[in-house]
Amino acid sequence: MARAYDAIVIGGGHNGLTTAAYLAQAGKKVLVLERRHVLGGAAVTEEVYPGFKFTVCSYVCSLLRPQIIRDLDLPSHGFEVIPQESSFMPLPDGRYLFYRGDEEDTFQAVAKFSRRDAEAMPRFGRLMARMAKFIAPTLTMTPPDIGSLNPSELRKLFALNKQVQTLTEAELYTFARLMTMSAADYLDEWFETDVVKASLCSSGIIGTLLGPRSPGTAYVLMHHYMGEIDGAYRSWGYVRGGMGMVSEAIARAARGFGAEIRVNAEVRHILARNGRAIGVELSTGEKLYAKVIASGADPKRTFLKMIDKSDLPADFVRGIENFKIEGSSGKVNLALKEAPSFSCLPGNGVHLQGAISLGPSVDYIEKAYDDAKYGDYSHRPYVDMCVPSTLDPTLAPPGKHIMSCFIQYAPYTLRKGTWEERREEFGETVLDTIEEYIPNLRKIVLHRQVLSPWDLEQMIGLTGGNIFHGELTPDQLLFLRPTPGWAQYRMPLRGLYLCGSGAHPGGGVMGAPGLNAAREILKDWALLRV
Amino acid sequence: MAEAYDVVIVGGGHNGLVTATYLARARRRVLVLERRAAVGGPMTTEEIAPGFRGPTGASLCGLLRPEIVEDLNLRSRGVTFIQPDPELVVLGDERALRIWKDVRKTRESIGSFSTKDAEAYPRFIEFLRQFAAAIDPILAMTPPSLPSPSLREQMSLFRRALRLRRLGKTAMQHMLRLPPMSVRDFLNEWFETELLKANFAVDALIGTYEGPWSPGTAFGLVPHFRPDVHGTASAFVRGGMGALANALGLAARDAGVTIRTEAEVTRIVSAEGRVTGVELAGGKTIGARMVASNADPKRTFLHLVEPEELGPEFLNHVRNFEMNGVVAKVNFALDGAPRLPLVGDGVPPHFRVCPSLEYIERAYDDAKYGKASAHPFLDVTLPTVVDPDLAPPGKHVMSVLVQYAPYALRGGRWDTEGEKLAERVTGILEDYMPGLERLILRRQVLTPADLQERFGLTEGHIYHGEMTLDQSLVLRPVPGWSRYRTPIEGLYLCGSGSHPGGGITGAPGYNAAREILKDWARFSA
Repeated sequence: MARAYDAIVIGGGHNGLTTAAYLAQAGKKVLVLERRHVLGGAAVTEEVYPGFKFTVCSYVCSLLRPQIIRDLDLPSHGFEVIPQESSFMPLPDGRYLFYRGDEEDTFQAVAKFSRRDAEAMPRFGRLMARMAKFIAPTLTMTPPDIGSLNPSELRKLFALNKQVQTLTEAELYTFARLMTMSAADYLDEWFETDVVKASLCSSGIIGTLLGPRSPGTAYVLMHHYMGEIDGAYRSWGYVRGGMGMVSEAIARAARGFGAEIRVNAEVRHILARNGRAIGVELSTGEKLYAKVIASGADPKRTFLKMIDKSDLPADFVRGIENFKIEGSSGKVNLALKEAPSFSCLPGNGVHLQGAISLGPSVDYIEKAYDDAKYGDYSHRPYVDMCVPSTLDPTLAPPGKHIMSCFIQYAPYTLRKGTWEERREEFGETVLDTIEEYIPNLRKIVLHRQVLSPWDLEQMIGLTGGNIFHGELTPDQLLFLRPTPGWAQYRMPLRGLYLCGSGAHPGGGVMGAPGLNAAREILKDWALLRV
Repeated sequence: MAEAYDVVIVGGGHNGLVTATYLARARRRVLVLERRAAVGGPMTTEEIAPGFRGPTGASLCGLLRPEIVEDLNLRSRGVTFIQPDPELVVLGDERALRIWKDVRKTRESIGSFSTKDAEAYPRFIEFLRQFAAAIDPILAMTPPSLPSPSLREQMSLFRRALRLRRLGKTAMQHMLRLPPMSVRDFLNEWFETELLKANFAVDALIGTYEGPWSPGTAFGLVPHFRPDVHGTASAFVRGGMGALANALGLAARDAGVTIRTEAEVTRIVSAEGRVTGVELAGGKTIGARMVASNADPKRTFLHLVEPEELGPEFLNHVRNFEMNGVVAKVNFALDGAPRLPLVGDGVPPHFRVCPSLEYIERAYDDAKYGKASAHPFLDVTLPTVVDPDLAPPGKHVMSVLVQYAPYALRGGRWDTEGEKLAERVTGILEDYMPGLERLILRRQVLTPADLQERFGLTEGHIYHGEMTLDQSLVLRPVPGWSRYRTPIEGLYLCGSGSHPGGGITGAPGYNAAREILKDWARFSA
């Protein structure tokens, strides 16, 4: 058996590439195998229509770990973030909430609705940032194996405890409540205006199959304050050239360290012998062998599709089968012949450069969730939009624009019909929803790309179309992700590692799972025998 | 002040009586002041029609902590718990599912729905029992002081963690996974039969303003699997729940407690941050070194105490304490035994209408937007089946717990919505029990507003506040104030608004008594 590589990484998403880059940096001979013709997985830029470069799936960046940006020197490989400087929420009655990043401007904008809320806003922001800052170090930590009596695990717990001690008593309680409360209930304690609450609570539900009234969503809300670009909390931005440039920059870094990257190379099977992963088989039948196999694919795809069940412990398989990975969102990408014009704030302007959300009330979003609970897409969905071409003209021909619309909710499992049959009808619903705010939208649309969770699964291989490789609820976080006892990137087959978002700390363009997995792999390196 | 006691207990609910008894046994002079004519709070049996006595509050009891039953000699005071078998029947569309006391028998009943579920059932019971056994000591414990746990507390926490760990690392991790889950997700991992899942979801959801889809609801299952009880832990009390209240009152008096009924406390008096006594309706004051309030946190802190004694932050937390009651009660006096063809001969004393998880979730959807459920789930008891003396011969009392009936209605008022809800409940039951309507001699509706009025439960919340994770343990009722003490020195909480929360457990009262006695030396100096 010819072993040409030290490590094979399955999937060229941003996490797989991160693992590959770190391993290559440590001098290992690494091969990345990507099924598609482009790298990036869900962090990808594609010219779907000539002249229009869509960031097809994920659309803004903020969570990418600064450590990775530094270690891999990503700016020198073309990675650049353009901050999204404003937040805009039009309302059906013609009013709107629009503010730029600075406190004074936010105050004025919110005070139009409520002075009390305007005063609460900065305090709320600071508390969230404080909490997020507390959580941030755990992202790049390998979760402790709770209950293990191994001294190194106990040390980890001790260190965690020490970190907890840095919080004041009040902060500790706030943290406990954030973990367990619903975004709606938590915001009720801070704000009185529904508009303000709605504008904030949407961050609590993005990518999850939960509504703003579901307990636990307050935590997801806080998670969104984790974003740091240049150390500034709560700052989101576009990546110049589209989100694909995140992956491209990491890939360049990896190649620079000597990693080999192959596209159009689909792994069909992970080869195992005597409880040890030894290589992979491609869809062409080609077999490749390596000392370490790291899978950037999601847990269900990795363990239920690529490996024979008989090679895995039964309770592990049951745990993976129970892993919740039902997608809940869709994406509509539009090529526009001119900048969109909102009826409440017509014309081109700064408000188009930032985050735009359609979800005018907490009930609106909760009702959108109700539809999804019973297996239908939202009749009036929550839409998170942006027009990145307003800040990055390389994305569209002069004067033209691309508009990225993230749609929630769109459950993977429909009760009536299939996504193939209903995709365009879903697209129409989305356009109808947006036209309530941009009346001439259909007239300026040149092309549209509608992606349901089913399409995301087909295209990128995300099981259930779940953008986070599995629901981000507390029962699937930390030492429980992807399943109890297997949260330290090592998997039941020796030499097999999970390096994608299905591992701690979960989804989002963070790179943290990839970084953590690489660290654990290198830790094991000397002990792993072929 | 003419009259003075060591401790005055505000409210003679079961927790207040438990606190009073333990304090009196420790030789304190204790006075219990109860607003109503009888002690027991919502643990009561009242006439719902001439000759018909039924529960206007709780219908069943099974979770009362065994050490309390033992310590207060409740059995020798004439309390008889009656556990029917099958203890529960769940009504489906075409068939009924019987939950027996015996796991194997229940398994057979489940087997007629699904062999897979029948196989899973004993493992499911075992898992939850182990979990319940592991956390049982936590219920009888005062939540630790988070910022500065004493060495003793640390040791006791460590022992409790060890107890969980003894089940094995993986089992422990699986248990830690349960609390944040939705009861739906959790049950879906075990079962495929909707009726079975819906039944367990009802156990987890009764009294809470959440649906089966809501994360955190799985934890609600656990208290029903206490090691010393089986299954749903439901027991009738001979003579009605009021008999249990009477026995608790008797135990208190025997221990030397003075109980005064029809004595409403309107104010808890304090000076310079220290409690001095209480004031009754009518203006009379009674001095006390300590006061323990069995009233819920909102009633205690927003209505009985001077707000300036508490500070804005504490008050803010109290105002944010979630306690939107969702339970209504409909009681029927029936001219004869109703027929329930689905079950066959004889009507079971305890049955449920909860066809599927989705049925319950949709009932919750209505409540989310401030409406009483169009199709509520029903937990039905007929105490007269096991205890015929509660009604004239051959006649019956049927008591129905109806959920969801949110206290805070959006548009609409309970004085008109109550009858409409009762009408829907009657309609649902008539479908299962043809001829029911002809048997009805009297129908009594108790909306959350009525429960508030009758028992002083703020917003009609039967648990003195939501039992969600964010209002549990060190967070109940106010973060940092979970140890029965309050910002006013000498004032304690001893009701369900404190850890471990609602249900007829007696645990908050038991724990509060312990803390009060611990502080005694310091105060009597």
